[in-house]
Amino acid sequence: MSRLLATVAVVAVIVSSFAVNTKIALGHERRPVGPYTFVVGWINEPAYVNAANGLSLDVTDTSSLKPVEGLAKTLRAEVIVGGGAKKLSLDLSTDEEKPGHYEGSFIPTKTGDYIFHIFGDAGSTKVDERFESGPNTFDGVVSTDQLQFPDKVPASSDLAARLDSVQTLVTLAIVLAGVALLVSLGALVMRRR
Amino acid sequence: MRRLAAVFACVLGGAVLMGGAAEAHANYVRSNPDSDARLVKPPAEVRIVFSEPPDPKGSEIQVLDMNGKRYDKRDVGPSGDANGLRVSVEPIPDGGYLVAWTATSAVDGHTTKGSFAFVVGNGPLPAPPPVPDAAPPPSPLEIAGRALSYAGIALGLGTAFFVLFVAPAATDPRRESSLLGLAGALIIAGSLVLMVDQGAKLPPRLGVMLAARAFAGLVLTAVPITPRLALMRPVGALAGGGVMTLGPFATFRPRRMIALAAAVAAAMTATLVSHATALGSLKSMGLDFVHVLSVSVWTGGVVALLWCVLLARRDETAEDARALGTTVWRFSMNALVATALLITAGVLQAFDRLVLIDDLYETPYGIALTVKIGLVLVALAIGALNLLRWGPRLRAGIRARNALIRDTVAETAIFVVIIVAASFLTAFAPPAQPSAAAYDQTQHVSGLRLEMLVASGGPGRNTYVLRVHQGLAPTAGAEKVAFRFTMVEHDMGQQELVAAERAPGEYVANGSPTAMYGTWHIQTIVRLTGREDISTVFTVPVGAPSGGGSTTSQVVTVGPYTMIVFTDPATVQSGAPLTMFAVLIGQDGNPVTGKHLRATFAGPSTQAPIDATEDAATLGPGRYKFAIAGLDAGTWKAAIAVGNEGSAAYSLVVSR
Repeated sequence: MSRLLATVAVVAVIVSSFAVNTKIALGHERRPVGPYTFVVGWINEPAYVNAANGLSLDVTDTSSLKPVEGLAKTLRAEVIVGGGAKKLSLDLSTDEEKPGHYEGSFIPTKTGDYIFHIFGDAGSTKVDERFESGPNTFDGVVSTDQLQFPDKVPASSDLAARLDSVQTLVTLAIVLAGVALLVSLGALVMRRR
Repeated sequence: MRRLAAVFACVLGGAVLMGGAAEAHANYVRSNPDSDARLVKPPAEVRIVFSEPPDPKGSEIQVLDMNGKRYDKRDVGPSGDANGLRVSVEPIPDGGYLVAWTATSAVDGHTTKGSFAFVVGNGPLPAPPPVPDAAPPPSPLEIAGRALSYAGIALGLGTAFFVLFVAPAATDPRRESSLLGLAGALIIAGSLVLMVDQGAKLPPRLGVMLAARAFAGLVLTAVPITPRLALMRPVGALAGGGVMTLGPFATFRPRRMIALAAAVAAAMTATLVSHATALGSLKSMGLDFVHVLSVSVWTGGVVALLWCVLLARRDETAEDARALGTTVWRFSMNALVATALLITAGVLQAFDRLVLIDDLYETPYGIALTVKIGLVLVALAIGALNLLRWGPRLRAGIRARNALIRDTVAETAIFVVIIVAASFLTAFAPPAQPSAAAYDQTQHVSGLRLEMLVASGGPGRNTYVLRVHQGLAPTAGAEKVAFRFTMVEHDMGQQELVAAERAPGEYVANGSPTAMYGTWHIQTIVRLTGREDISTVFTVPVGAPSGGGSTTSQVVTVGPYTMIVFTDPATVQSGAPLTMFAVLIGQDGNPVTGKHLRATFAGPSTQAPIDATEDAATLGPGRYKFAIAGLDAGTWKAAIAVGNEGSAAYSLVVSR
């Protein structure tokens, strides 16, 4: 019996240590918007780069705590990276089994912070809210590096950066070749004099 | 051998007369009150310590309230601290205050500006006004003065060296004299222009240096036109050092030796008011001096070769051509050594003064340096052509004088531009300026130059500054600049501080995210309109407080207990509120609660005893808190008693 208890205790410690030590703090941001409460985060958490995911939005009536349905047609959502460098309009879908829950799917292709901009009407309430990932809200998109096995697949942004550096080297090589050609020509001309 | 000894004597003579470390560009290091300090009582004075010696005459410290009313007594003077200034402050009511300072370097007269804020009592810190450039660009007069001076030094030194060690014996003395006279005139004019540029705020030390330089120029001018050379020897000795009058040096080609000594002395003044001395090391000064000497020997030598030899001689006969070729060969060998020294010293200096390779095109200093390097390469290419193409032809008795004249004229023109570039270079602040921050690192990310500064190296409350530049321009108006903190050694989660823009391109956040000693990653995120986030990670060690301070944490024994005492903030400043904590641990290693702790103080002024409060729910078990309104500057001894069971002494240094 004591062995069983010890085994259970060890397992419990290991499991809890995973929960405590994980670098990814899962979460959604909860915010009152007029008479409603918006809860925003990712559909799948942690949000991994290049994996299907999207906006998860739950709307409840703050006073009655009842889910608010029928907002898919009046609310609009878009996802933004950086200072509005790129925006994508999201089609909000609903789930009959989860009243008051709305989703807008997309595949995040970069790691880092994302902003969900939700705007339009919720009943008679004008909505224009930006929910931004961060340590105090919901997590940004993280790399899958630690999960990849056996080979690491480079991210597209890494590939682009490597291509850029190769391009720079090629340009440098062309310049050096040009200089070498000019010097050779100059030496040839000088020799003939 | 005698010649080498003579050169050594010239250099040593100049060093003896002009030696001594000095610095330039005075930057803010620390102050009392500290930047963003919250004081419980109004300060009687404001003291600022700079990275280099400021000149009180050209410096100013203004203490302004939030309405712009001035409260300082306009009596700026030395504070007694090294590189420190102080100003008295009239009695001021509670509120936020801005200290706007202007410091003029005692070394080169460069002006730097800045400001910081503090609060007396409760209330918000005033928002500083837009900060002007910390180091305003040099004036055209300064550039002109430097260019004239450097041209004169290079011409004087190069000519004197050339006629002493390279030129054939039959060199026309009138041509030599004209060059030396021109060099002296340029040096005098340059020195006077620099004095005029400084005007009334000319620091005494800089004044002495410019006067010495002008005097050396006067000697250079007088040497060729004064027939009574013996009378000039003492003057030359003054310019080049007493060794010039000793032994055989007194009679060894006195006129040229005096000219060389004067030019070396002028070159020495250039080093002593340069950025090299600003770095505060003899190595930098030595490198700079070698740089100035070698560039002068090369550039001034080319002009002397052109004027005294190439334009004065003919190569109609094979004999003449060979003689000319021999002179060109001798000069080329000297120039090769000079350029090797020049490049070596220049590269080593660049390592000290540049932070990133991108500095070469993203900072005014780097751009001037790049232009200079490019021009030097072109001049070197022409020199190589002379050495490898025209020199051998002449030595073979074939005519090539006209081609040599054409090339050396081109080289001379390039040298003029190089000297102008060097004038800009020496007037701009190098990127690797000494920083007041405990941590100062720069990264280049996605076209942006991100400089991260952390005010203190200790744990606890700190100030984090990110300077963002794109090219030469500060990146103002970022949508968001955030710092995210994670500890490397332990999982303490992630904390975020969002920075506010306090000056164009300068984003500042205050907080206590780094609570523990260890290694911290600070991820900086810069969000600009229309761009993707620019993010990078700085690795910041958090340890003992910087600035020569030490940790306030001490372990003492009180009767049967062990007590760990420390303060928050770790660096305690005069008049600022602080909290002293004592963690009481029993012999069994467990925290001891429910004791009565009292601290009795002895120090520079009177401080009533303070009883500790204990709140295990918020502070943790066994942790006692002493809230202290503020202590005067000096060393304090606190006797911390645990009931009647015993007491222990804790020492605390309170900075001004």
